[in-house]
Amino acid sequence: MDRIVQGMHSSEILKRVREADGYFITNTARDLSQSDFKNRILLHTDLLAAEARERAGYFSLEITGGASVHVDILRKQVDPFLKLKLLREKMPHTMFQTLCRGVNLFGYRPYPQNVIRLTVREFAKYVDVWRVFDFMNHVPNMQAVFEEVQKAGKLLEPSICFSTGPEHTDEYYVGKVGEILAVTGPDISMCIKNHGGLGTPKRIGELVRAIRDKYPDLVIHYHGHNTDGNDIGRITAAVLNGANIVDAADHAFTGYFGPPPILSVIQTLKDYGHTAVGVDEAAVIETSGLLRGQRKDYEYFESQFKGFLPTVQIHKLPGGAMGSSFEQAVKGGFLNRMSEILHEELPKVQRELGNWWSVTPGSQILWTTAVSNVQSGERYGNCSGDLKNLLLGKYGPFPFYCPEDWIYEKAFGPDWRRIVEEQGGVMQIEDIDIEKERATLQERLGYEPTEQQLVTYLQHPNDAVDFFKFEEKFGKVYVLPPAIFFKRGGFALGEALEFNDHNGKGHIIEIGPVHRHEDGSTSIYLNVDHHQRVFIMPAEVKEEGAVKEVTLSKKEIQDLAKIGDMRAPFGANVCEVSVAVGQEVAVGDKLVVLEAMKMQTPMLAAVAGKVEKIAVKVGEAVKVGGKILKISCEADAAGQQK
Amino acid sequence: MKKKIMVANRGEIALRIIRAIQELGHVAVAIYETPDNAALHIRVADEAVWIGDGPRKDYLNIAKIIKAARDHGVDAIHPGYGFLAENPDFAKACEEAGIIFIGPPHEVISKLGDKVTARNIMAAAGIPMVPGTENLPHGEEGLSEALAFAVRYGYPVMLKATAGGGGRGIRLIENDAQLKEQLPMARSEAKAAFNNDNVYLEKVIVKPKHVEVQIIADNFGNTVHLGTRDCSIQRRNQKLVEIAPSMIQDKKLLDDICATAVQAARASNYFNAGTVEFLVDKDYKFYFMEINTRVQVEHTVTEMISGIDIVRTQIKLALGRPLSFTQDDIRLRGHAIEMRINAEDPQNNFMPEGGKTVTVYRSPGGYGVRLDGFVYQGFTIPEVYDSLLVKLTVFGFTWNETVDRLRRCLRNYTIVGPKTTIPFYLNLVNDPDFQRGDFDTSYLETHPELFDYKDDPSEVNKLARLIAEIHFKKENKYAI
Repeated sequence: MDRIVQGMHSSEILKRVREADGYFITNTARDLSQSDFKNRILLHTDLLAAEARERAGYFSLEITGGASVHVDILRKQVDPFLKLKLLREKMPHTMFQTLCRGVNLFGYRPYPQNVIRLTVREFAKYVDVWRVFDFMNHVPNMQAVFEEVQKAGKLLEPSICFSTGPEHTDEYYVGKVGEILAVTGPDISMCIKNHGGLGTPKRIGELVRAIRDKYPDLVIHYHGHNTDGNDIGRITAAVLNGANIVDAADHAFTGYFGPPPILSVIQTLKDYGHTAVGVDEAAVIETSGLLRGQRKDYEYFESQFKGFLPTVQIHKLPGGAMGSSFEQAVKGGFLNRMSEILHEELPKVQRELGNWWSVTPGSQILWTTAVSNVQSGERYGNCSGDLKNLLLGKYGPFPFYCPEDWIYEKAFGPDWRRIVEEQGGVMQIEDIDIEKERATLQERLGYEPTEQQLVTYLQHPNDAVDFFKFEEKFGKVYVLPPAIFFKRGGFALGEALEFNDHNGKGHIIEIGPVHRHEDGSTSIYLNVDHHQRVFIMPAEVKEEGAVKEVTLSKKEIQDLAKIGDMRAPFGANVCEVSVAVGQEVAVGDKLVVLEAMKMQTPMLAAVAGKVEKIAVKVGEAVKVGGKILKISCEADAAGQQK
Repeated sequence: MKKKIMVANRGEIALRIIRAIQELGHVAVAIYETPDNAALHIRVADEAVWIGDGPRKDYLNIAKIIKAARDHGVDAIHPGYGFLAENPDFAKACEEAGIIFIGPPHEVISKLGDKVTARNIMAAAGIPMVPGTENLPHGEEGLSEALAFAVRYGYPVMLKATAGGGGRGIRLIENDAQLKEQLPMARSEAKAAFNNDNVYLEKVIVKPKHVEVQIIADNFGNTVHLGTRDCSIQRRNQKLVEIAPSMIQDKKLLDDICATAVQAARASNYFNAGTVEFLVDKDYKFYFMEINTRVQVEHTVTEMISGIDIVRTQIKLALGRPLSFTQDDIRLRGHAIEMRINAEDPQNNFMPEGGKTVTVYRSPGGYGVRLDGFVYQGFTIPEVYDSLLVKLTVFGFTWNETVDRLRRCLRNYTIVGPKTTIPFYLNLVNDPDFQRGDFDTSYLETHPELFDYKDDPSEVNKLARLIAEIHFKKENKYAI
C-alpha cells in the first residue's frame, strides 16, 4: 500500500487507515518540546531532523499548535508560518498536524468567530491534520474550527479530553463521541486526548474497546503523556483494543512529561504482532542520531526536576504544564510547598470546581487557584477573572456538577446569585472588524502586513508586533543553532560561529574582545565574514532620583480604589483599557483588564465618577501598587460625603 | 627642484592635494585646527602645523596661515575649495609674502568673484547670459528698476547677492509683493554674510540643467577645456551627484558650450584650473552663470574621462611650467559619476550627522572605482565642519556600465555610525530617469520616492547584532 501523504483527501486517508494491517504513529515533536523543553525546541533542530523524519514514514508530524505558536514568536523568534513553509520544503510528503484549543485557538481565551475562521483558513494551507479540543468537552466551542477545517478539505480530528474519577465513565465518553459525530459526520479521526497520561493501561484499553464496540469504523487516535512512566503500557492497551494511530516522539529528546519513545512503542507492539504501518525503523534511529548532539544545548529548558512523577494520577496536571509549573515554583519561591499544592490542594480544587479536564486553559485556572489558595492562606480569597468567568459559565456548562454556593459567594460576594443570573451563560464574543485590525497593525509596523502577519497578530497582538520588530532588527534567526541562540555565559574569545543565513549563504563570526568604556558603554568586537564590526552596547540605565518604589499593601490598594485611585493589585500586563478619559463610570464598571500568568482579571470601578487620568496603555507592564487610572469621585466633586 | 607646498585646507581635498604633491616629489605641509587633530590629512602630510583652536576661524585666518607658511619655509600654497580658495585677499597676501598661490592671480579672482563685474566681462565678449540687472541702486530707485525688470522678463526672478556663491545669498521671487519685501532683507543679509550689500536680479530659468566646463590655462597663452560635467542633481543648491560628460546628446551643442567656456576664460585672462558654469534650459539654450576660480569638488569625474590629473597640473602650472598637452591631445572617453557620500540623514532634510563615530568602514574596490575620502574606522566626525565623508567616483565605458558599477559599489559600501546618503543613492541608481541620464535641477523635488528607504543592514549583520547581545548579556534575553 502507498503511504499516506499530505494532499490526499481526508476520506482517502481514513480509508487507508481503516484498511491497514497495523497501526500508525504520529511523531509529536511539538508536544515533546512543550512538555519537556518549555516549548523551546528550535526550528533549526526540526530542520536538522526533517529529512530523516520524512523518511521515517509517520502518519503525521505534530509540529505546530498548542502553546507553540505563541512561544514561536515570543521566545524562539520564528515566524510560525515560515516554520511550516521551510519544513514543508524538506518534508514534501509527511502530513503536518496541529493542536487547536477550539474557540481558544492557540491562545488562552475565546477568539471571535471571524478570527477563528481566518486563522484556520491561513494555517490550513500548511496543516493537514487538525486535532481540536475543548477543556470542558463542550462541542459548540469547537464547532467553528470543525467547519473551517472540513471546508479546507483537511483531516479533522476532534478530541475527547480524558480524565479519571467517578464521573469519567465509558458511558460518558462514548456519548461524547456520538455528540461529536453528530456534528462532524463520520469522516474524521477521533482523538482520545490523555494530556495528563492518566489512568492505567487497563482503563485506557477498556475505554478504547467501548468506543470501538459502538463505532466499529471510527478511526481512533490515542494521545498520551509519559509523566508516570507508563504510557507505553497505555499505548499498547489502546492498540490491542482497536486504536488506529498513537502518539510518540524521537527518543533522543524524550524526557519525563512528554510522549514516550517511538522505538519503544514499535518494539513492544511488534511482540504482540502489531506492525507500525509505513514506519522505517532505521530512519527513526537515524533521526535520534542526528538530534542527540543538540540535546545538551537545551539543558537549561529541561525540567528542574528529574524523574517520572507517578503522582500525576493525583494532581492530574497535563504533561505540557509540568515544566512551567516547577519553573513558577522556583521563581515564585514556593517550591517547598509543591507537595502540598500538587497532592492536597490541587486535587481538592479540582473536585470542588467540577472535576472536568485539567488542560489549557482549565489547567491554568486550577493551578493558579491552588497556588493562590495555598500562598494567601485564604481559599478562593483572590479569584482570578478567568475563574470568575468559569463560574459564570462563560466557557460552557459544567459537565458533571456545579461548584458549591460558598465558592460563588467567595468569588462574587453575598450578591452572587444576582450576578450569576445577570452575567451567566456562555461567552458571546462579537466579531471584530478585521480590516480595522489590519490598519492598526499597519500603523504599528509602518508597512503593509501580510495576511499571515495579520493572523499572527490577531492571536497575540503585542507579542506579534514585538516579534515583527525583532525580525526587522535581527533578521531570520532560526538559522542559529541552539548552541548559539541559547548560549549562556558568553562565548569564548576567538570562538568561531559558523552558520548559513536564510538565503543559504554561509557566514563565519569570530568573537573578538570586549571593551568597557568610562561612560559605562561596552564595545563588542566581532569579525563578521573576516571584517571587523563593533557593536556598542549602551550603559545599563539606572534611573537617578527615581521615586523610591513604594510597596502598597493589599488594604492600601483597596482603600485607594475607594477614593478613585486605582492601583494594580498584582504585577501584570495591561491587556485592555475599557474606558476613556472624561468618561462617566458607575460602581462595578470594567475599567481595565490586567493579565498575569496567562490569566486575565478585569479591574472594576470601586467608585462612581469621571475618569480623570489614565496612567497605563495596552501592552504596558504595571508593578504591584502601580498607578492605573484615576476617577474623580462625586464625593470629591461635591466636596462632601454623600 | 623639491618644493615645500602647503595645503590650506582639510578633509578629503587636503588629502587629494597632498597625494599630488607627494607624487610630484615635493614636500606636503598640512595645517589644522584643534577639532581636526585626529584627521587623516595631518598624518599623511610630511609636516603638519597646528594653527589654532578654530573651529572654522583659523582655516580662514590669512595672517596665521601666511605666518605658518613662512615659519615652515613654504614655497607655494594650494587653497583647495571653500575656506580661502576664492578669497582674493588670500591670493594677494601669498603674492606679497613671496609665496606662490596655486590658482589664478588675485585680480582674476576678484573680478570673477564679483558677479556683476563677471557678467559685464562676459557680456562684452558676447557670451550668452541669463538676462539680469546691474547692481540695483539703493532705495526706491532700485526697487522700481527691479519691478521694471520683472515686468519685462516675467516672474519668477532670482535675487542674488553680488558677492554670494556656492548657493548662498540667493532667493526666488515670485511676485511684486515678495520683491518689495525681500529686497531690503536680501541686502542686509548680504552685508552681514559677505560684507557687501550689493544685490541684483536675474531671470529664472525654469528646471535648467547645470552644465559646467573644466578649463585650464597656463601662463603662456594656452587655454584648453576638459569637457563638460553635469551637476544638476542638487539639494538646496548644493551638488550631490556629478557626472562627466553631460548626457546631452547634441554633440554640437556641447562643443559650443566648451568653446564658449574657453572664450570666457580668455576674456577674463584666466590662469590655472577653473570651472565655467552654464545653465541649459528646456530648449537647449545655454546661459553663462559664473566662473569658479578653484578646483571643484567634482573635478574627479573629469580626471576619470580625460586621464588628466587636474591637481597635479595646477601645481605644475603654478610653478611656472606650460601646459604639457594641447586641446587636440585631449581625448575624452567613457562616463564617470561621482557621488558625495555625506554624513547626513536624507530622510531628515539631510540633517548633518556630525559628532558620531564611524564604527565600521568598509569601502568597495575593483575596476573603475575611485575613492577620495578621509574617514577611517574609529574616526569621530567633527561637528564643526562639513559633512562630506568620501567621494565615490566610478568610471565606465558606457553610461549603463557606469551606473551598474556604481550600484555595485554602493551595495558594497558599509559605513556604520553616522547615517549617510548611501541608501538614498541606492534608490537613485535604481531610478529609471537617472538610468536614462534624464535629470535637471528639479530632480530631487520631482522624485520624492528616492527618500523612501529603510535602513536595511545585511542579514549577517543583523544576526551578528543578536550574537553581540547574547555575548554581552551572557544570555539571549529574547529567548528566556
